[in-house]
Amino acid sequence: MGLDVESRRVVEVEEGGTVEELVVNVGPSHPSTHGVCRVIAHLDSEIVTKAEPVIGHLHRGIEKMAENRTYLQVVPLTDRLDYVGSMYANWAYCRAVERLASIRVPDRAEYLRVIVCEMQRIASHMMAIGSAGADSGAVTQFVYAFDQRERIIEHFEELCGARLTYNYVRPGGVSHDLPEGWIESLLAFCESHRKGLDMMDKLFFGNVIARGRMKGVGVLSAEEAVAWGASGPVARGSGVEWDLRKHDPYSVYPRLDFEVPIGSNGDCYDRGRVRLLECYESCSIIEQAIAQLEPGAIMADGVPRLLAPLPGDAYDHIESARGSLGVYLVSDGSPRPYRMKVRSPAFCNLALLPMLAEGHLLSDLVVILGSLDPVFGEVDR
Amino acid sequence: MAVNATNDYPSGAAGIFARVRSLLTGLTITGRQALRPVGTVRYPREKVVLSPRWRGALRLRGVLGRDEISVLSAGPPAYNALIDGLYRENRLPACVGNCPANVDARGQGYLLGEGKPSEAYELVRERNIFPGVLGRICHHPCESACRRNYYDEPIAIRPLHRHAYEEYRKVADERLKPFTVHHDERIAIIGSGPSGLTAAYDLMRLGYRVTVYEKDEKPGGALYSGVPAYRLPREVLHDEIGNLVKMGLDLKLGVEVGKNVSMHRLLDVYDAVLIAVGLQESRILPLPGHDAEGVEGALPFLRAANWKGDAGVKGLRVLVIGGGNVAVDVARCALRTGATEVRLACLESDAEMPCHPWEIEEALDEGVIAMCSLGPEEVLVSAIGSVRGMRMRECISVFDEKGRFAPEFGDEYTDISTDVVVFAIGQAPVLADVIEGSELTLTDRGMLPVDGTVFTTAQEQVFACGEVVTGPGSAIVSIATGHEAAESIHRYLQGQSVTEGRVVRPVPLYEEYQPALLDGVEGERRRVTVPMARPEERVTDFRPVELGLTQMEALGEAMRCLRCQSEVCVGCTFCARTCPDYAIQVERIDDPGQRRVTLYDLDLSKCCFCGLCAQQCPTDALTHTGQYELTFFHRDLMVFDCDEMLRSGEGTRATGRDSGREGNGEVSD
Amino acid sequence: MSGLIWGAIYGLAAGMVISLAAFIGVWGERKIAGRIQLRYGPQELGPFGLLQTGADTLKLLLKEDITPAAVDVRIFRVAPLIVFAPAAMSLAVIPYAYGFAPIDTGVGVLFFVAVPAISVVGVLLAGWSSRNTYATLGGLRAAAQMISYELPRTLSVLPVVLLAGSMRPLDIMDAWQWWWIPLTFIGFIVYFIASLAEINRVPFDLPEAEAELVAGPFADYSGIRWAIFAMAEYGGLVAASLFGAAVFFGGYLGVPGALGVIVFVLKALVIALLMLWVSWTFPRMRPDQLMATAWKVLTPMALIQLVLVGAVISWL
Repeated sequence: MGLDVESRRVVEVEEGGTVEELVVNVGPSHPSTHGVCRVIAHLDSEIVTKAEPVIGHLHRGIEKMAENRTYLQVVPLTDRLDYVGSMYANWAYCRAVERLASIRVPDRAEYLRVIVCEMQRIASHMMAIGSAGADSGAVTQFVYAFDQRERIIEHFEELCGARLTYNYVRPGGVSHDLPEGWIESLLAFCESHRKGLDMMDKLFFGNVIARGRMKGVGVLSAEEAVAWGASGPVARGSGVEWDLRKHDPYSVYPRLDFEVPIGSNGDCYDRGRVRLLECYESCSIIEQAIAQLEPGAIMADGVPRLLAPLPGDAYDHIESARGSLGVYLVSDGSPRPYRMKVRSPAFCNLALLPMLAEGHLLSDLVVILGSLDPVFGEVDR
Repeated sequence: MAVNATNDYPSGAAGIFARVRSLLTGLTITGRQALRPVGTVRYPREKVVLSPRWRGALRLRGVLGRDEISVLSAGPPAYNALIDGLYRENRLPACVGNCPANVDARGQGYLLGEGKPSEAYELVRERNIFPGVLGRICHHPCESACRRNYYDEPIAIRPLHRHAYEEYRKVADERLKPFTVHHDERIAIIGSGPSGLTAAYDLMRLGYRVTVYEKDEKPGGALYSGVPAYRLPREVLHDEIGNLVKMGLDLKLGVEVGKNVSMHRLLDVYDAVLIAVGLQESRILPLPGHDAEGVEGALPFLRAANWKGDAGVKGLRVLVIGGGNVAVDVARCALRTGATEVRLACLESDAEMPCHPWEIEEALDEGVIAMCSLGPEEVLVSAIGSVRGMRMRECISVFDEKGRFAPEFGDEYTDISTDVVVFAIGQAPVLADVIEGSELTLTDRGMLPVDGTVFTTAQEQVFACGEVVTGPGSAIVSIATGHEAAESIHRYLQGQSVTEGRVVRPVPLYEEYQPALLDGVEGERRRVTVPMARPEERVTDFRPVELGLTQMEALGEAMRCLRCQSEVCVGCTFCARTCPDYAIQVERIDDPGQRRVTLYDLDLSKCCFCGLCAQQCPTDALTHTGQYELTFFHRDLMVFDCDEMLRSGEGTRATGRDSGREGNGEVSD
Repeated sequence: MSGLIWGAIYGLAAGMVISLAAFIGVWGERKIAGRIQLRYGPQELGPFGLLQTGADTLKLLLKEDITPAAVDVRIFRVAPLIVFAPAAMSLAVIPYAYGFAPIDTGVGVLFFVAVPAISVVGVLLAGWSSRNTYATLGGLRAAAQMISYELPRTLSVLPVVLLAGSMRPLDIMDAWQWWWIPLTFIGFIVYFIASLAEINRVPFDLPEAEAELVAGPFADYSGIRWAIFAMAEYGGLVAASLFGAAVFFGGYLGVPGALGVIVFVLKALVIALLMLWVSWTFPRMRPDQLMATAWKVLTPMALIQLVLVGAVISWL
């Protein structure tokens, strides 16, 4: 069965005979692994003594596939990296391409990118918050969060025709301009979304049982967060104030006013609630960006069908819902990237799981895994 | 200060109270939500509304071999409505839209590819009365808008016009038929340039009797007097004008209105008069010494060079002032008439020169010396009163930040020694004699006030078109105004409102393309190279510089046309090339008359619904549907063949051949 | 011999009552959960989707009865019945109408709180026989949980027994006074929470914890055997709400005949609704928190209630 049975600990007990650790194989097909992760959990009664994530079940070789595709054809591949936040991977990749090919993106396209990416942040966080509820048994919370997410997805569908793999951000701009009435309905959503967030804050993050499940569970100190390369809400939940939108500003973020929520305990609760608070900020960013949006081109002039940047390399990163998402591209002057490498925040954050889960109960394991919010498309690539 | 996410309960009794309250709050929230009206749809009865930008399973609207590609053809008054309608529906090919006269270049490509050059010629002639002429001299805005620029290189539309003409010429006598006259009204047109003859052609098609007055002994106007013979052999021009005469045009040569016949008389005899006299006078800057011997205007120079083959510059040095196409023509004519050294000085920098880049390139090949960013200051006159040279002043910038003409000069002066100075800085109309006897008046600058949309003048019966209205421009723009003027005259004579439903017809702006990457592009995808005479040979006389295409070259080039926006797949394979998942396979046969797509396979098991193929489809035949329900009895059915791709896009299901269509739907096991 | 026949008849009746209750219960739960979760719930089959459960039952009956190769076959097969039978039995002592309980016994209350505890054996066996780590963990959790919550549950009923001076349900009904409601309210809360734990509902559904143990002891069951587990759960829900309505809210309130039954069932429905509402609102507890709640919160609360009632009785 492939279980790592050999390494299970066997203890001799005083009464004679031996006691073995129970090895439970959580995943790869399991409701709480957020995809196809497999965690080999060694249990002493229900206490996790060792939790070992086994990744690679979703490995598709996207980085290698990119070498065989033109710069434009890679964009649909990046959709499938972080399929909960396709816009981010699109954008990070396109930023790297634009840096490589020295393309200047029109202002309107930048604003549209910011708008869709903040929407994507809400959608992605709703997924994380909702599945935090599902992991701890609050199915209704899950549905409420997904209801909010669905509103975003509907807007995306109206914008680019797809609900998950948008292929919207393209090298040089974005693929579609806004449909009629979209802005108004998005502003109305922001309004109602704040109410929904208030509701979830009370229903889930205020609930005594939910607090009991998340407070003090999987505590990550700020030092360790930095040392392990954690980013995004995982690092911010531990009190590390690190947000690329603020601390390495890109696109039009310097023109927008927003705050970076941080936690102080570094437990599952802080990580989750940081996400919730970020959604408020995202709403305000969307509103500001819409206010500053001006008519104009959505695509840089004369981006050819086959981009062939001069030989060289480029790295660019953005703040995705999961942390710093970077794309490194090497060009050899041909219309296909010579090498693409993705710095995936989900992968770095998942590495914390064994450390955080040790000593907690099996029930906590899924909550901790959920609070790291891994998306395995991005972990395995 | 950052927002903190940690949200602890207060300690002590308040904490216990908060804990209990949180439970009650939770119950209240869910209870309240349960009482709210439900926000979702009742699934089978209420359909989910899909965005019209949906990206469901692909389908083809049409395919070559099954569907005809419609040719844009309509009589003169209906054509504009046709174009406008297509433009609104976003179904207007870029080449047609970008052409001032909206010549159907797509239809030309289609008919040529089907092996019907005469039909192609006649189709082009509907909007561009001189395909043979414009096939040599047009500045082809169609080609710069050609969608093919995006993929590799544009279609050689202009050389194809010329090829169509050459094929048509062989059978012209059989195909030419005079137009029938079914209106009593008679129309006089003053000037036999492109705009006047266009209006004449349209009006003849509508059944009017048209008389054209030309003051020169040969017809053609600016085409005859202005365009150098090395670009346009005169026999082509006169052959095409001769065709018009065969179609019933009454051409009166050597009759100058205002001298031989008065406007007053024209107004008496004819029901409408169209002024299409063009521009006859070159502007000369009033600099010190501009009246010296050896200072000339461009038009007299070109006339002399074209008509006599001798402009009196043999063995002399020539300086051309100006950076436009006329200036380049003058420079190249000067070389051909034996000038020893030809320089071209213009205000603009080399990047800003208003002439077409290929023109100046050919001129430089032939040995013209271009001197940019120099403004004329003074003509240096020798003791005997002839030109000795020209003093030029450095020009820093030509346009101000708003793009208006406002040259700024520096302090550096250059003297250029030369024997002849030709000013090619603009032309002006000479209208005073022409309008003598009518109610029309000229402006202070000698211009005739004309409505730029419907081409009416102050006098109801008189219309004007061509360069008189637009100022110096290209032949195809003049032709476009001729069509509009003809429509106005037709409406006027039929007692309809001239202005109703007419719109300013600006040329729609189409995307500018960067040169596409051509590495590894197959030979048959490349644009045909139009053969040119060698520079050292061609400068010696007025032989045509550009040589024609062979029949095979022309056929191959016409096949390259993508039939943009026709909604009929032509098997161009660009969807297959764009697909990141290699899900599409396309094959076609290219035999003339037998052209069809033989294979179009879409493998839905590979398709990732990214939309790149449909987005780049030049014909718009490939579209996404809202069919998101895809279930199949057998995995082979997931490969949609051409038949299946042509299914209707209605509904939400696409299930391959098992969806109820008759025949070969069974899966044997 | 006649006892056996009566037992068989009773068993059949209880089975049918529970089936009916599960039938409506599943529908009601799905409807309520649907409304709470912003959707309609079943709506296509029959009026208001009422027949949906019937269709589902049919489907479960027709499904293949899978017995995994590694299981202990005999125990695996018998476990659902061991879970189902106590749930059915506990219905026997409930006073449905004026002067009528199917089994009128002097230890009725004791019977009611004791018999459902037998089902823990079934759950444990189901988990153990499945030879599956998830199921085993779930079975062990179930055993710990049910036994722990027996105590507060029993203690919570005792005040009413003290007040009535009898453990015979019909006697309690006769002696019931309205002011018992405020007096025994804490007891009711304890009873309510402990019953939730007893019937494995959120926030105490640890044995089947979807997110961790993927249905726990029932993970390897399918088709009709799984349906029997589900029915036992609804049987427990019905029994707990009926008994709660009887003991804490006076059941039929001395009203004779059919009207009394209706009053009684309505009260029970309110309690059942409350249970469903709670379970679709809250997250699940952790095993250690669950135990802590039983021993540190509920048991002391029940004891306080007991002392309170004792004081009141002595004062009377």
